[in-house]
Amino acid sequence: MRRSLMLIVLGLLLALAITLETAPAQDAKTQKLVFASAGFDESNRFWVISRPDHLQYDPFLETLLEVDPKTGEYTPRLAEKWSNSPDFKQWTFQLRKGVQFHNGFGPFTAKDVVHSHALMMRPEATATLAGFWRQVDKVEAVNDYQVVFHFKRPTTIMPYAASRAGDLRIVSKAQWDKEGQEGFEKRPAGTGSYRYVGRQPGLSISFERVDNHWNKERPAFKELVFRLAREESTRLALLLSGEAHVADLPRELQKDALKKGMKIFSSSFPVDWMTVYLGGQYYLPNDPAFKPDVAWTKKPVRQALNMAINRKELLNTVFAGKGTMTYVTGWSEKSEGYNVEWQSRFDRMYGYDPTKAKALLKEAGYGPGQLKFKILAFTEPGESEGPQVAEALGIYYKEIGVETEIEVLDWAKVREMFRKKVIQCCIWPNIISWRPSEEWIRTSYHSKSPNHHYENEFIDKQYDLLTKSVNPAERQKIARAIGDHLFEEFADIPLFWFANEVVANPKVIGEWVYPGLAAGRSTHFNLIKPAK
Amino acid sequence: MATVTARTLPWYAPPRVAHAWRRVKRYPVVSLSILTFVLVIPAVFAQYVAPYDPLKGSLAKRLRPPAWQQGGSIEHPLGTDKLGRDILSRMIHGARVSLMVSMVAIFVGGTLGTALGLTSGYFGGRVDSLLMRLVDISLSLPTILLALVLVAAVGPSFSTVIIVLVVLLWARYARLVRGETLAIKERDFIARARVAGASHVRIMTRYIFPNVVNSLLVLATLQVGYVILLESALSFLGAGLPRPTPAWGLMIADGRELIVTAWWVSMFPGLAIMLTVLSLNLLGDWLRDHLDPKLRHV
Amino acid sequence: MQRFIAKRALQSLLAIWVMSLIVFTLVRVTGNPLDVMLPLEAGPEDYARVSKHWGLDQPVYVQYAIFLGKAVQGDFGNSWKWHGHSAMGLVWQRLPATLQLAGFALLVSVVIALPVGVLSAVMKGTVWDTVAKVIALLGQSLPAFWLGIVLMWIFAVNLGWFPTSGRGGIQYMILPAITLGWFQVAAIMRLVRSSMLEVLDSEFVKLSRIKGLAEWKVVWKHCLRNAAIAPLTFFAIIAGVLMTGSVVTESVFSWPGTGLLVVDAVRARDFQVVQAVVIVFAGIFILTNLLVDILYAYLDPRIRYQ
Repeated sequence: MRRSLMLIVLGLLLALAITLETAPAQDAKTQKLVFASAGFDESNRFWVISRPDHLQYDPFLETLLEVDPKTGEYTPRLAEKWSNSPDFKQWTFQLRKGVQFHNGFGPFTAKDVVHSHALMMRPEATATLAGFWRQVDKVEAVNDYQVVFHFKRPTTIMPYAASRAGDLRIVSKAQWDKEGQEGFEKRPAGTGSYRYVGRQPGLSISFERVDNHWNKERPAFKELVFRLAREESTRLALLLSGEAHVADLPRELQKDALKKGMKIFSSSFPVDWMTVYLGGQYYLPNDPAFKPDVAWTKKPVRQALNMAINRKELLNTVFAGKGTMTYVTGWSEKSEGYNVEWQSRFDRMYGYDPTKAKALLKEAGYGPGQLKFKILAFTEPGESEGPQVAEALGIYYKEIGVETEIEVLDWAKVREMFRKKVIQCCIWPNIISWRPSEEWIRTSYHSKSPNHHYENEFIDKQYDLLTKSVNPAERQKIARAIGDHLFEEFADIPLFWFANEVVANPKVIGEWVYPGLAAGRSTHFNLIKPAK
Repeated sequence: MATVTARTLPWYAPPRVAHAWRRVKRYPVVSLSILTFVLVIPAVFAQYVAPYDPLKGSLAKRLRPPAWQQGGSIEHPLGTDKLGRDILSRMIHGARVSLMVSMVAIFVGGTLGTALGLTSGYFGGRVDSLLMRLVDISLSLPTILLALVLVAAVGPSFSTVIIVLVVLLWARYARLVRGETLAIKERDFIARARVAGASHVRIMTRYIFPNVVNSLLVLATLQVGYVILLESALSFLGAGLPRPTPAWGLMIADGRELIVTAWWVSMFPGLAIMLTVLSLNLLGDWLRDHLDPKLRHV
Repeated sequence: MQRFIAKRALQSLLAIWVMSLIVFTLVRVTGNPLDVMLPLEAGPEDYARVSKHWGLDQPVYVQYAIFLGKAVQGDFGNSWKWHGHSAMGLVWQRLPATLQLAGFALLVSVVIALPVGVLSAVMKGTVWDTVAKVIALLGQSLPAFWLGIVLMWIFAVNLGWFPTSGRGGIQYMILPAITLGWFQVAAIMRLVRSSMLEVLDSEFVKLSRIKGLAEWKVVWKHCLRNAAIAPLTFFAIIAGVLMTGSVVTESVFSWPGTGLLVVDAVRARDFQVVQAVVIVFAGIFILTNLLVDILYAYLDPRIRYQ
């Protein structure tokens, strides 16, 4: 009897083994490049998609201007030349001739630009710069190869917005007229060196190479696939098992991948910064949301909270040493108004010094154990470090006698709190991507801004001056004044700048230079040089 | 089928040790001892047993491997986590958290379910049919999804987790107790109690309830393990206990992406969960066989 | 009988309506979806514009009336995250993947549970019984996501036998199905074991033994066949557990099913999709229960008059 049972079990095992055998062998020669991504909002409607998620358009939908992968400058792309009127209210673009849309939808002309902008104006538009594009009064097609954007007020950041770093993707008017939105949803035609093939919702999006690109771009890989895998260990597994050749991994896991022979490709420029914001800094007179009993409305407390953090250790541990210091939140060396002096003064004002931090707290009236607050943390796909940083902050603050409590929420909850100015209780680390200085001040510090990170009369006044000024030297001065102010006041706790980093299999990818500043971060797939 | 065993042969006396062993074997010794050492002792004496503060860490000491691995030291026998906290201490305190969460959730859910089940089974009629519809709805809810939504709504906290767990658990108790009550209330001693003038509440609490305790005990034992697993699933989905609570589920969820290089971060709490839940299940099975053979199908 | 069916159907509809009310309220407590949809740059005028576009500026009871009116016709509105898809369309698009995985997981668990259950019944009280029990219970003792990741690392990355994740041929299904199915093994095995024990103890098995039939024939032919009639409800409940359990498994293996859909939808505050998924799931379960009840009532007339 026992024998018969063993037979049954054996038979079942055999059956299982046969199913195992059917697993297919890996394709040895790589014609298809697979990128494992943490995921993005899957949609062909670029006007509702935020900049980081423009990754899915980068291979096939082009923009008027390019972002140079090495210098980060804005260079010609679908537009050959551009210029602005002296008052910065009109921007004129001279379009390239002889550019063909995919799938036979004809040549690219001015009406496609007008059409693409019109899509951006639709009521449901939620793209990053949707608000910016609404500042356009009119897009005028002078002729087939010249368009003029008429703005309501002086606008200096147009090259950024119209470039690969912005979000105005040029799609075909001819396709829309012929197939309507349905056709566009199904297989949008672009002008890039890859053509859209299709999506498997929740799983992947795929592209194939175009043979006659107008700029003679010829990507090395015939097919390109973005695989979606939200779990970090799954992305690492995809990479190590050879199913994917490039993966977007948190800095901590990059070490693991390196040990297994993978290689890291960093963007040419820092892309994101991390800062810890202190809630409740509403210093405009008579703001009912201002609460004087919030500890960090006192400057020494803000300085103490800064000095309690060992930035170097934090960077070397949680971020595996990958990053550079941020001196003023939002300002990189590339930004308007960057002040080189910040670097030399930083250590004295912000550097790690728990003893001084304790003394500063005492001076402000907070002895050991008397200051208590919450640290909010949240994660976004691809940015898993938030909670870890929050916990590390908790450990640092414990050292200087500050009690903290960590609450992990999601982004929507935290955002609602600071948008509605009910975040006096808390501090929160956040990773934000680079924007031009003026755009960043408007978004973050201006009192009419939706985010209320730190606001007072000085910043409001300077910002108004900045928006009215078109003289580069003067603009530099104003932007610097705002930066200096934030620096002197310890407006928040600036931490690090990060470059975009992807991990790739060096047997497949030899070289890849990309700016990181372009929307979608890991961009310029056409420039990838395969391994020999 | 007649079998010949040592016991049927009167002239054969097994050696003492074997005899004692047989007596011991009747109880699930292994399960009980695992439970004692992995769950109960750490949970009760956490602050005396744990070598370090489970919340205090140092980034300089992060991701130290366990003592027997290269680079490890006896200072942190099971290594440290991403923030340099001692894993052993976190696990010891984690036992307390796990035990507390499951006890509270099961107690609340069980009490609620039992009360409703008793009422439903005892009174029958409309009350019964209404409550049983409720049970049906509750059992058919895609609860994990609702848990996700609930946590998004109010944020993760100890009480949110308990609420989610109670919503998940109560219906099973209600259904079980109701079934038993239906059977018990037809028995003679209930009728006699009624004749003697006992009130409804008294009959339910004094006469029916003691007869369902065994079944409840079995179900509760089996569910301690289930709750520990649920807590870890919730942590994985970001809807579990708040940080930096040293909870087993949260520890695994936190260390899951380091499974290649820093396997110890998630592996030890994983093993702790596995051993505990396995022992609980074996114990539950044993209890089921001994206390309540009717429950086999639950 | 017809009255019974009508009554139960009405109750089921009521249950689904209660569900709709619960989800509708609960998602609205989670916060403003615009805080996810809109970029940091968005000012109050952008909030007003998009809120108007999606009808979020209306009072909640109006929103519910609109929602209910459309939901009755099977329309749950358009998704806010997956632009260009209706919420219901997304559910139908993803449901086959989830059903496929759940079905395959059930198959896997039966395939493991049957021999293990038989083994443990036939060899009751021996070491084999204990081993069988431990194998079965192990599935109930491991956090599913942890098991999934460990399986993935062993069998996909180190051994390379299966793909790590995603959906494709049968080889893609095995690891997620084991992860999802192992949990159920203990329950099914227990059922097999107890039914086997009962049958093994029955008169006609004893008779067959006396007749001198080969033991494996007795076990295999007579016992298993008679023991295999598992109650319908049991499978209905298991199917339910598998469906919700798939949330975790789908996340680990990037399996593009409804579980993954709903996790993303909750995070994105895509109320439309969350509502659609929850109601469709609850609807499926409630309708299955209804069907089972009716079937039982048909088979067993006593129930009808209770």
